[in-house]
Amino acid sequence: MSETVSESVSEPILEVRDLHVSIADEPDVQIVKGVDLTVHAGEVHALMGPNGSGKSTLANAIAGSPAYVIDSGEVRYRGEDVTTLTPDERGRLGMFLSFQYPTPIPGVTMVNLLRMAIKSRRGEEPSAREFLTELRETLQTLRMDEDFARRYVNDGFSGGEKKRAEILQLGMLKPELAILDETDSGLDVDALRTVAEGVNALHHPGMGILLITHYQRILNYIMPDRVHVLFDGRIVRSGGPQLAHEIESGGYDPILQELGIAVAAAAS
Amino acid sequence: MSESTTAVAPLHAEQAVLAAAVQRGEPEWLLERRAEAARAFAALPLPTPALRPWRYTDVTRLDLAAFVPADTPIAIEGGADGDAPDGDAYVGTLSGALEGRRALVAERLGALVPATEGKFIAANAALWSGGALVHAPAGHAFDEPIIVTVDAGELADAAVHPRLLIEAGEQSELTVVLRTRSGDAPLLAAGVVEIDVAQAARVRLLIDDRWGAATRDFTTIRARLGRDADLRVASLAIGGAILKQTVEVVLEGEGANSSIRAVALGDGDQHFDFVTLQDHVGPRSISDVEVKAALAGASRSIYYGITRVGEDAAGAEANQQNRNLLLSNSSKADSDPVLEILTADVIRCGHAATVGPVDQDALFYLQSRGLDRRTALQLLVSGFFQSVARDLAVEGMADDLERTVFAKLARAVL
Repeated sequence: MSETVSESVSEPILEVRDLHVSIADEPDVQIVKGVDLTVHAGEVHALMGPNGSGKSTLANAIAGSPAYVIDSGEVRYRGEDVTTLTPDERGRLGMFLSFQYPTPIPGVTMVNLLRMAIKSRRGEEPSAREFLTELRETLQTLRMDEDFARRYVNDGFSGGEKKRAEILQLGMLKPELAILDETDSGLDVDALRTVAEGVNALHHPGMGILLITHYQRILNYIMPDRVHVLFDGRIVRSGGPQLAHEIESGGYDPILQELGIAVAAAAS
Repeated sequence: MSESTTAVAPLHAEQAVLAAAVQRGEPEWLLERRAEAARAFAALPLPTPALRPWRYTDVTRLDLAAFVPADTPIAIEGGADGDAPDGDAYVGTLSGALEGRRALVAERLGALVPATEGKFIAANAALWSGGALVHAPAGHAFDEPIIVTVDAGELADAAVHPRLLIEAGEQSELTVVLRTRSGDAPLLAAGVVEIDVAQAARVRLLIDDRWGAATRDFTTIRARLGRDADLRVASLAIGGAILKQTVEVVLEGEGANSSIRAVALGDGDQHFDFVTLQDHVGPRSISDVEVKAALAGASRSIYYGITRVGEDAAGAEANQQNRNLLLSNSSKADSDPVLEILTADVIRCGHAATVGPVDQDALFYLQSRGLDRRTALQLLVSGFFQSVARDLAVEGMADDLERTVFAKLARAVL
């Protein structure tokens, strides 16, 4: 394991090193332009930034989406270089992406997906009783109806249901890395609280969380250890939880100006 | 159309057909029809791709003489006692009904599908043996599905001619499952299914095709629906080298309702060709067609379907859908849904066709959950078929289809 990490004694779960990412269909368009990031076990890192700064691209690239190409740099998960692994290999190792826009899978029930995903992850089919008990408990934690698990995955779900369904999968798959891509968007205050409480309940000392958000709102419920600001494909500032409040009160412009980034110029 | 002057194979010739029929002890009236069918077979050319329903399935080079007509092995389970008196329900072989139900069989056999209509149909009319008759008199409801199994076993270079006659009297109810099986040797199957659904009767037909890898199947299924009659046909195309299935429903009575559903799961060089007709004659008739194909390897699917709404079919509702999922780079699908509407007074008449690869976002989503690509595709195809599977009239068939999807795609080229 590398010695680049300093203060923390816990295991690094995610290490992103000088990552450059382009769109697969448009190789000339680089979205992520050199990101460094380390999330240790037990930590919550919030990745914030204005629209179009590359947050979702970074999340998808870490998960191995074929829609993006990693031009250079590396992604390490629990010390292992996973940069060239397939998305399913990453998933089986314990990496999990909660999607910003979860895809509908018509005809496939949530129960069926969960059972197969757990089987893939553990290498064996979970016992029916154990599985159902766990499913019930997780549904309860997220204040979801039991019928929910018998519906087709994300098919005809409301925005809030989709986000809860992502956290349901997080709870059942028990990953060591959870990347939550705008899990707060499209949720009303009550749903946001429920989802956030669910995440908190599922968070354990062995799990690192990278929480991607546009707004500070969710950070009232899920307390970050570190906050990073992504702009134009680079992390331009990192800090403690107070950074999120700074953004909440003043937006991104003051931070960018402070850093000498002319917002108008950057936007053009 | 090119006149292919295929020489009639000796065993398809009128004399041979008659000799075989005499040997089976068939009655005089049937012998006459056998002779007529044999003459039609000799006179008719093989269909050519110039005919629209045969555009993508070229049989002009098919050497019919290479397939020796054989007795068609047929087993029938469930339903009523075949020895029941006339007027009662009957489930049994067609050959066993020739004497006891002479009037019914003589009147109805070939009434919906005349022997002279086409080459394969004529072959069937001349050469069918065994066969199956399911007759529900008015008001009769069969509690159990009737299972008709055509298992050609190890027959090689042979031709079989499955023949089903389903007669559903007024307000009767019945479910028939037609299972087809064969070994790996070359086999030709030319089947005909005729279904008469009288007023307010309900008929379910489930065709479970698991032919062996070298079987070519050309089957015509035609139904007539009386007033408020209800017919659901579901077809699972899993096996065979070529499967050409024509399903035609004539919605004659007012308020008649039909649904035709099919799924095809292809791999290797499998070739599936579905032709459907929803012919709305009666007012306020309703029809629904949904044909779905998932294609691996270099397999191919063809769909050609016509929704016809006649002048008198005021207030008709029709829906027609064909969806094709290409699981490999070499698989292929052609789709052509056609509407022919002759009345201005339709409630709803829709059609849709899609051909394309699996949704890459869905694939990534499932893979991100730890499912390898093949498992993810198995699950996606299983889900794709679900809209058909969940309505299958026989318990356990949906699970069976799911297992089949997983087993077949475990080895398929994806």
